[in-house]
Amino acid sequence: MTTLLHPPITATQAAARTVDATKVYGRGQTEVRALDGVTIEFAQGQFTAIMGPSGCGKSTLLHCLAGLDDLTSGHAFIGDADLSALNDNELTLLRRERIGFVFQSYNLIPTLTALENIRLPLRLAGETGDTDWISTVIDTLGLTERTAHHPAEMSGGQQQRVAVARALATRPRIIFADEPTGNLDSKAGAEVLAFMRRAVDDMKQTIVMVTHDPNAASYADRIVFLADGRIVDEMEHPTAVRVLERMKRFGE
Amino acid sequence: MFATALSSLLAHKLRMLAVATAVLLGVAFMAGTLVLTDTVGRTFDNLFGDVYKNTDVVVRAKAAFDGPTAMGAQRGRVDAAALAAVRAVPGVREAQGNVLGYARLIAKDGHALGHPSNGAPALGGDWTVSTRLNPYTLAAGSPPTAADDVVIDRKSARDGDLQVGSVTTVLVQGPPMKVRVSGIATFGSTDSPGGATVVLFRSDVAQRVIAAPGTFDQIAVAADRDVSSSQLASRVRAVIPSTAEAVTGAAVTKETQDAMAVAFSFFTTFMLVFALIALLVGAFMIFNTFSITVAQRTRENGLLRALGATRRQVLAAVLLEALIIGVLASVAGLFVGLGVAVGLKGLLGLIGFDIPASGVVFTLKTVLVSVLVGVAVTCAAALSPARKAGRVPPIAAMQAGNTGVAVSSSRRRVVVGTILTAGGVATLMTGLFSSVGKPVTVVGVGALLVLFGVSVLGPTVARPLSRIIGAPLARLRGVTGDLARENAMRNPRRTAATSAALMIGVALVGFITIFVASAKASLNDTIDRAFTGDIVVNTGAGMSGGVDPAFARGLTTLPEIAAASGVRQSLALVAGDAAIVTAADPKQAFQILDIKPLSGSPDQLGVDAIAVHKDTAARLHVRVGDVLPVVFKDTGPKSMRIAMIYGEIQPARTYFMSMAAYDANFSNRYDTMVFVKKAATADAAAALQAVKQAAAAYPGVDVLDRAGFKTDQSKPFNQMLTLVYALLGLAILIALLGIANTLALSVFERTHEIGLLRAVGMTRAQLRASLRWESAIIALQGTALGLVIGIFFGWALVRASSSLGITTFALPVPSLGVIVVLAALAGMVAAIGPARRAARLNVLKAIVST
Repeated sequence: MTTLLHPPITATQAAARTVDATKVYGRGQTEVRALDGVTIEFAQGQFTAIMGPSGCGKSTLLHCLAGLDDLTSGHAFIGDADLSALNDNELTLLRRERIGFVFQSYNLIPTLTALENIRLPLRLAGETGDTDWISTVIDTLGLTERTAHHPAEMSGGQQQRVAVARALATRPRIIFADEPTGNLDSKAGAEVLAFMRRAVDDMKQTIVMVTHDPNAASYADRIVFLADGRIVDEMEHPTAVRVLERMKRFGE
Repeated sequence: MFATALSSLLAHKLRMLAVATAVLLGVAFMAGTLVLTDTVGRTFDNLFGDVYKNTDVVVRAKAAFDGPTAMGAQRGRVDAAALAAVRAVPGVREAQGNVLGYARLIAKDGHALGHPSNGAPALGGDWTVSTRLNPYTLAAGSPPTAADDVVIDRKSARDGDLQVGSVTTVLVQGPPMKVRVSGIATFGSTDSPGGATVVLFRSDVAQRVIAAPGTFDQIAVAADRDVSSSQLASRVRAVIPSTAEAVTGAAVTKETQDAMAVAFSFFTTFMLVFALIALLVGAFMIFNTFSITVAQRTRENGLLRALGATRRQVLAAVLLEALIIGVLASVAGLFVGLGVAVGLKGLLGLIGFDIPASGVVFTLKTVLVSVLVGVAVTCAAALSPARKAGRVPPIAAMQAGNTGVAVSSSRRRVVVGTILTAGGVATLMTGLFSSVGKPVTVVGVGALLVLFGVSVLGPTVARPLSRIIGAPLARLRGVTGDLARENAMRNPRRTAATSAALMIGVALVGFITIFVASAKASLNDTIDRAFTGDIVVNTGAGMSGGVDPAFARGLTTLPEIAAASGVRQSLALVAGDAAIVTAADPKQAFQILDIKPLSGSPDQLGVDAIAVHKDTAARLHVRVGDVLPVVFKDTGPKSMRIAMIYGEIQPARTYFMSMAAYDANFSNRYDTMVFVKKAATADAAAALQAVKQAAAAYPGVDVLDRAGFKTDQSKPFNQMLTLVYALLGLAILIALLGIANTLALSVFERTHEIGLLRAVGMTRAQLRASLRWESAIIALQGTALGLVIGIFFGWALVRASSSLGITTFALPVPSLGVIVVLAALAGMVAAIGPARRAARLNVLKAIVST
């Protein structure tokens, strides 16, 4: 992984951060600035939610941080690694080893069992991983009975928990979750969020989650509000009521 | 609906291009064959019509019997005395006696020209003095005037580097003859009649060295202006012996044209079979592509139904799409076929069948047949997917796309597949082992049923088979191999249909490989069993000629040689069937050949005796002492007593007679091969050297030791194998195109999944590898099933071919191993394109797509 260690611009404890991150789609008349000079840090061991109205750039920020999309200008770092300096292969290895993902839906490979899905990033790296750790994760997420099941045989909530387990399996530097409960009913969603909370509290993981659901956001330690590609507000120790209040103001 | 079909076509250009290519290749091959057949037919019709246009009446011996289709009526010669009688008939303007037989021209560098044993004949004849009746036209030099003058065809002159004035050798009846090329001639507008080598002597010389003195093969007659050919024919009929007939020149020309057409129709049928195989393989690909696209468009079709389209309309839209592709690809194939025809013509030239260069004949029939077949195959293959599209309920528009794991096989599928396969096996066996009319057709239908049956069963076995084939991959290649295996297993129907195309190709390749290996093994076994000698002299003349019998007699006098016997083969009508009769000198031959006498004795093989192979004897219910009716073309009907029944089918084939009996009934005097046994005391190399020295007087003959003889005899099989491999290559190419197409469609379908894999850390290289392995598993699956079928076909045909001397079933494991490895590699090559596309997918866009 030495190839990924590029000289840091500033020494930091952040799991991930951006410096003046700008993403522009289109040109001229059709130009859209999805991110407009965003500078932000995500501290180690923290659960951050990114919120904002549709089209505010929250997903774009997540994708650029996760190495799935590139910035037009500015920098995004995972630890000390500057993503803009990495080629496709290096980015892939970085995602495999330092980043965990939970997407909104269809998170799993349908041909693989739950356990195989959980171990997928490790197997892609040709590693067996820490089996005790994986057992702990599976146990914590209540998936012990489900390891041999295929995704088609599981409920949406179970599938999302498997996705969380997969994200945790490699003990990544940071986990990115894109509307992880968007397709779940409120009970299943609450379960998944509770597990994510536990991953931060008990397993010292770092999670960045994009959501538009104030309830989901209330599980986070900190909320960053985006509008028109810029950070417009932050909130520590949120509650659903406070978030809802804040969100209402976007409509004005 | 037309607009829907068209827009759908345009939206899926690439996948439909692959389908179109499959149709195009099959149609091009078919059209090429038809164009070539028509071109050759027209060319030879014109040629013969032209060169014989002044021949009004032909006098020749009546046909003694009809030979096998390719050899035509067998007839003897007419007495030369008839010529004078014919010339005296009023209305005869000119009459000329002609002889036609074997003469092998030796090139400047000493090799014998042409391949008369398996190609165009080596012809010898007379130079017809009358320009009106002579089919040849001098291009250089002058007619033969001296006894050693010859006129040769322009192709031989070119191939043999011979000019007017060149001195060379011609192998004829009797000792080899030193000749001087006095002239070079063309046959009508062509250099040679169909690529044959031609040597034309002065008439009296030709009678002596080609035919028999005092005889003609035919008398050609030109009529006076005021008499019609048929009138003249009946006048001539009155003056010729009852054994001869007088027919009009037009009738003979027609016969020649028809014979040429029949000879060429074998080639046409052979090629059309391969064109149909290619189309069949293409049909699987079309079926598969449409099945996948219809499945992928379930939502779209549901929407159409929700908006008020009837089932029939949805079905029609899919069929219309197939129709458009079928028409476009067939028409394009038709024109590519013109190129194929030129290529095939070159191929024919390589095997010695020269077709004079002339315009391409492009008939309406070719257009109609090619386009109709191409369109019919495309639409038939798309019918079942189209019906499936029609059955999509409107509610499907509201449901999520179905990319999950497909349902497993139904009970009905197993029943239908088993019935088809069993029926195919039964039909095949019936065609092979019992006497039915048109056995080739029956066997073909049986084979086709087996292929279809196994294809129907395919989805049932695809899952377990992929699991087994992929097992080592999953173990050795880790997660990429694992995913490859899971993906090959996830849609058994698709995997089965994709691999079925390759299965057909491999089944045929495996079958022909096994059959040829068995034929070669049988041949070697026979040579080991039946040939107890040491040296074989092969003249390469086939049944048409050979060397002077004096050569074999001379060998027996050498101190290094214990025994030597010439071997001849000719056609005769034995017990009502045209058959090849083999002759040798019993005293010498049975020291060299062990044909396993079962009853009777070779000592009894006199002038009126014949020996019969045991299978034929059993079929005819005859034994030693019985009398067989035999008709010879030169001497007519005879009664031959059975002196011996023998057990070895080669080299004596079904009937054997002594040289004395042969000489008494055939006028030609050639040994096509000479078998030699060295003296016990002689050194093997010295004996070989001695025979070579003796053979030096006969340029162009091969002197072979045992091993050389085996190799020499295997040559035609190897040539056939190469040809069939090349022709099946097209079907296999289409099958691989099918794998590539399926894979491309699967990649399209799995876009989201691929994005996900890439997001969680699959490198591009890993993704490509996984798809390559998936492709290899599909290819190996088709190969495995194909080989099983191929081995069965091979085994069945070998068992059914014992009468041809193919008695040993050989399983060429190394060759079959090579086929397996090549199939896996080809599968991986087929994956290159789709794998590259998959690896280039934008991860983010891929994840977002559902």
